[in-house]
Amino acid sequence: MSTITHDIDVSPEPEPRIPPPSTGGTWHVTWHGVRTVAALELRQRVRSTRWIVALVVWFVVVGGITLLTSGAIGYLTGAAPTSVQRGPLLFAAVVILVLGLGLLVTPTLSSTAINGDRNAGTLATLQVTLLSPAEIVLGKLLAAWAASLAFLVASLPFLGLALAMGGTPILSFVLVLLLVAVLLACVCAVGLGFSALVARPAGSTVLTFLMVATVTIIAPILFVVTLPSVSSESEIRVWATPWDDSSDGMAEECRWETTTETVVHTERTWWLLGANPLVVVADGAGVAMNDRSTVDPLGGIRTGIRYLRAGSPPEVDRCYSSATTSPVEEYDPDASPVWPWGLGVNVLLGAAGAITAVRRLRVPQHKLARGTRVA
Amino acid sequence: MPPTVESTATPGPVPGASPADHAGIVVRGVTRSFGAVRALDGVDLDARPGRVTALIGPNGSGKTTLLLVLAGLLVPDAGHVRVGGHDPVTDGGAARALTGWMPDAFGTWDSLTAREVLTTYAAAYRMPRDSAQARVAELLETVHLTEYADRPASVLSRGQKQRLGLARALVHSPKVLLLDEPASGLDPRSRVDLRELLRALAAQGATVLVSSHVLSELDELVDDAVFLSRGRTVTPQALAGSVPAQRTWRVRALSYGALTRWLSSTGSAWRPDDDAPPPGSPDDVPGGVLLEVAGDAGAAQLVRDAVGSGVPVTSLAPVGGELEQAYLTLDEERR
Repeated sequence: MSTITHDIDVSPEPEPRIPPPSTGGTWHVTWHGVRTVAALELRQRVRSTRWIVALVVWFVVVGGITLLTSGAIGYLTGAAPTSVQRGPLLFAAVVILVLGLGLLVTPTLSSTAINGDRNAGTLATLQVTLLSPAEIVLGKLLAAWAASLAFLVASLPFLGLALAMGGTPILSFVLVLLLVAVLLACVCAVGLGFSALVARPAGSTVLTFLMVATVTIIAPILFVVTLPSVSSESEIRVWATPWDDSSDGMAEECRWETTTETVVHTERTWWLLGANPLVVVADGAGVAMNDRSTVDPLGGIRTGIRYLRAGSPPEVDRCYSSATTSPVEEYDPDASPVWPWGLGVNVLLGAAGAITAVRRLRVPQHKLARGTRVA
Repeated sequence: MPPTVESTATPGPVPGASPADHAGIVVRGVTRSFGAVRALDGVDLDARPGRVTALIGPNGSGKTTLLLVLAGLLVPDAGHVRVGGHDPVTDGGAARALTGWMPDAFGTWDSLTAREVLTTYAAAYRMPRDSAQARVAELLETVHLTEYADRPASVLSRGQKQRLGLARALVHSPKVLLLDEPASGLDPRSRVDLRELLRALAAQGATVLVSSHVLSELDELVDDAVFLSRGRTVTPQALAGSVPAQRTWRVRALSYGALTRWLSSTGSAWRPDDDAPPPGSPDDVPGGVLLEVAGDAGAAQLVRDAVGSGVPVTSLAPVGGELEQAYLTLDEERR
């Protein structure tokens, strides 16, 4: 009665092993496919009311802080209105604010895009269509990026306000926008990568935040705490006013002295700061270097990072007498920009995220994502 | 149409023969493990164009895994698969273009309307926009969701979402249709509609593979049946073909006493059915018994003999559907 006919023996003769899936279609990208996915994602996003609320909150927060900042700057610099240009100061404040908040908001836009869909049961039905994995990933990336750019656009009035206060070249304004946009795209791509790797949305969001924090906060902290380990006692030449009790001092000529001092070799660790998004934006978009007539925090960051990259100069001018012209060569650190390096790191991280996501979306799969039901 | 068991499943594949002898679904010796779990352990299956094939098996027998392989989402560890003449592993794009897959559990994008959901899938299958719109309107009509076409999918009931999922699987007019528990959550009217739709699609030449637990409905729907058990295709004894299968029949008579006395005198093994009169009841109350009968011929013989012996038989019918009976003869443990 209960005899079961095992009708087929798995054939004992050598079965041709199924070749690995062809990867030809994986990277095939058409604008039609990318647009289909992006439109789908954006429609989903735009129709949720939380999204509008988030934009309004953003606008109010950035606007409020900008106005408060400009008021504070006006109060603090009120005594010397002509000597300090307030524009660059406010511009820097708004850039730092927008970039910081942008880095806080953006990870949430993409870090659940793939595992969230998988949990909601909408990913597999998309994977069986003729969309390639690259199209799905790029579409999701485009949608998340567009959403993060909406926050940037909502900040434009306040950047414009700072621009209107003068002192900031229009080129800086454009460069800031471009660099921030590219950095946000990188964060979106990193989030996508984690959302493809990790089964739970909470996990991928935390990992994305951790990655952003690594570049923006942890690496600078590492830079600071490693300063002692890159310090050494070195001899340097100093063009200095000699301590001479017999003379009246003022007419004394400066002369070369050799002293042993602690030298911090920041040229070995500056790169820990180089990938920081703020450093990238400041270095790429700050106003002219060594212009001490304006208070320009972005320009200051740029000058700072380039000095750190150069390390300590071999010769130091500590002559406070104006009697002689200094033989110390004007120490001009390498003027080549830092930002391509820092931006490159961020772009590489983003590319790694996107490539990871595409590879994880390839069908048919050899492995099932963890947590997926079996049989 | 009574279902017949896969004829090709019994003899096994001819060594060296090309598996792709038809444009439906061909599965030969497919295995697939998840870690230590052997979800598919040598599956052979043919689902032919123009026919509706049922995929039947207990929970955990590998039905969904097999459908994932057929849909082009999973790579089998070994074996051959052809869907619409294409290998979903090496020629995934071509296979997926021909395949419509409706998973047992799926979601919809809640903020999109039913029409937008279908339009998006049409675009994902690279259908031209104009023909896509016409196709979407037609499908919404087919699954009776036209009045919900422009409402967000989040307001749809479970059954309506199920119908939307069916329309989604059909949007690119696939030649091969893979349906995993399509009837779950559907009201009776929708189940009848589903049955008619699938029969119509098969009549147009589509290959339809349906996995379902609602065996009584499959009885009327399917042409062929494939049974899966522990990741293997099995042929239930009841459907083995050559030997007339023993099936349980219910026989009712005006006089329960006359019926049981006659059955006992012929040596038949009978048992009272659920509403048989209790022992000690008067002789001539109506009542019924269950007994095993060998095939339709056996049933005909039984009627002849009973009438010839003067037993007032009122009805004679098989208990449960043929698929259900076959399913129960599998006698396999659930996982």
